[in-house]
Amino acid sequence: MIAHHPDDALLMGYASGTADEATSLIIATHLHYCIMCRMRSRGMETIGGSLLEEIAPQAMAAGALEATLAKLDQVKPYERPRRAPSRDGTPGVLRSYLGGDLRDVRWRQMGPRLAYAPLFRRDGVAVRLLRGVPGADSGSHSHQGLEYTLVLQGGYTDVTGSYAPGDLQVMEAGACHNPVADPGEDCINLAVTTGRLKFDSLIQKIAAPLFGF
Amino acid sequence: MDALLGRVAATQDRAAFAALFAHFAPRVKAYLLRLGAPSGVAEELAQEALLSVWRKAHLFDPAKASAATWLFTIARNLRIDAIRRERRPELDPEDFMPEPDTDADAGLMLAENEGRLRLALKELPADQIQVVELSFFADKPHSQIAAELGIPLGTVKSRLRLAMGRLKRAMGGDE
Repeated sequence: MIAHHPDDALLMGYASGTADEATSLIIATHLHYCIMCRMRSRGMETIGGSLLEEIAPQAMAAGALEATLAKLDQVKPYERPRRAPSRDGTPGVLRSYLGGDLRDVRWRQMGPRLAYAPLFRRDGVAVRLLRGVPGADSGSHSHQGLEYTLVLQGGYTDVTGSYAPGDLQVMEAGACHNPVADPGEDCINLAVTTGRLKFDSLIQKIAAPLFGF
Repeated sequence: MDALLGRVAATQDRAAFAALFAHFAPRVKAYLLRLGAPSGVAEELAQEALLSVWRKAHLFDPAKASAATWLFTIARNLRIDAIRRERRPELDPEDFMPEPDTDADAGLMLAENEGRLRLALKELPADQIQVVELSFFADKPHSQIAAELGIPLGTVKSRLRLAMGRLKRAMGGDE
């Protein structure tokens, strides 16, 4: 069961289309796992439909309908792109960003127990995969900006609770935690971070900028 | 509107398409203008949204959403793609995790309930409808919406939560 969900504001950013791409990606990936939030999101889209229905219409330019009708014969019916199925259960929405499955990811080691893979960075928001072997301790750190973490495999535990696949953790700016990967499979997370992380230990303080954290 | 869309899907009915265009194109244009699109861009994208309706009509499922909600998602995605030049991370409908039986109580979303939703939206207290509308039309994170309203982020979030609770109750779902 999924225990940690986005709040209404966060989910509404996705449903309304005002959230940035990185935030939208992590919410969409949560929705892959969470039927309840898929229903919540659909309810919010229905609000969007109602607002659209109720908005004061703005007249289209003269000839707009004729121009569009003239194009109808030139366009083909839309076909959903066919994707090869995942071999390891990687959410489809994430696969299009990975260019493959989780097991194809090329990891960059950060010490013996942690690894990461950058996906993209835009407007100061970084999207990465993080991977820790069981017991790996990412080090006590605090956040200068928001951080969203979604578990894809394995799990981790910190002062706020335990997180399993599909669970979303939101860390507000200034919050501090010390997540440790649970026993079992390697823990793999999707992480969206704004602002740099501040590590408490000196070694990590030195290393973090090298890895782009 | 749902029936018109069905006719476009089934028989490529151009008269039905023209009626959909007359209703929705000016609304999509108004939506894009509200979100700050220049007039020419809003006009062009509204036409493009309706062209998408023509191309995608066979994917419309009236059991899942009304025509207005479906149009909203098309306009939303088109704006992200064309104006923000970002990708819209969308779920792949064929690759969900196995689902338990859908709980009817969770419904806030069935097309036939939309009339009730619209009434409930009109009855929301002014401070709640304001944050709902800004969530859709301001194109800003909630932290910025809070700053511009001069209220704490927590207040924006609690107003949204209250609004969602009221809307759900109005639809007959559990809170």
